[in-house]
Amino acid sequence: MKESYSRADETELIRASLDGESLAFGEIVNRYRKMVARTIRGMLGDTVFTEDLGQEVFVKLYHSLSEFRGDSKLATYIQKIAVNLTLNEIKRRKRFLSMFTQKGSDEMYEMEVADENNEEKREAKEIVGKALMGLDPKFRIVVTMRMLQGYSTKETAEILELPLGTVLSRLSRAQEQLKDILQKL
Amino acid sequence: MTRPEIKQLIISSLDSGADAGAIARQLEDGGVSYDYSDKFTGRVLDKIFEAGLIINREQEFVRRLSSVFYRVALTGVAAIVLLMISIFLMEGSFSINSFLGIGDTIDESIVCLLTGN
Repeated sequence: MKESYSRADETELIRASLDGESLAFGEIVNRYRKMVARTIRGMLGDTVFTEDLGQEVFVKLYHSLSEFRGDSKLATYIQKIAVNLTLNEIKRRKRFLSMFTQKGSDEMYEMEVADENNEEKREAKEIVGKALMGLDPKFRIVVTMRMLQGYSTKETAEILELPLGTVLSRLSRAQEQLKDILQKL
Repeated sequence: MTRPEIKQLIISSLDSGADAGAIARQLEDGGVSYDYSDKFTGRVLDKIFEAGLIINREQEFVRRLSSVFYRVALTGVAAIVLLMISIFLMEGSFSINSFLGIGDTIDESIVCLLTGN
């Protein structure tokens, strides 16, 4: 059992995690937690309760790690889990909200950006958050992948399991919507 | 980064030919970064490995319970065997009457007992 896995490669980390070494899995969590946070918080808003969903992503990853064959990067695999859980959460909230109100699910999102000390940075985060929340979830997810994660259109299509043409058309439509949203901000 | 600059970055990140990776880094440097609390990793590990501990405890409980069950069952079987041996020694047979404890009783005495005459 190693004392530190900070320099270990992915294959070693996966193998050690499958052997039940918590330090190895902890290193995986540390490497990808920001990536998961960008996806979930980009989609659901920068709120505290999205941490539970982030934890769920890694718990699910741990339990499905033995099924990971290494055909794609581990990051892509984790990203797919994060996207699926986030979209399920949006559907769940939509169903829950429709039981009580006629308003859309986006009414439930709230922004929490007050923790940023620097006023300029806080404002930047707020603008991005409001712009994303103004989009329909199917557009928001492609914008999150592209703008916050920095994926190419091809990578976005692979993660979201969508045809490349669909991703391109959604990006184009999202861009038009964003222009309107940002004008009002 | 000024407001118009951020807005411009957001719009240009969606251009098909844009270097999305570079724009994402620019946004991150400008304050659009996301992360969880310091305790996040610890909480994830607790959820996974504490849950494993609970499962192990449950398995241990079931294992002990089944061993207790076997001991009780064996004691019961031993008690039944001893009872049968004692019945055989006392009554001399394994008839139903012997089991009911009326092996030595004659029919007339039962009638007397039941009727009171």
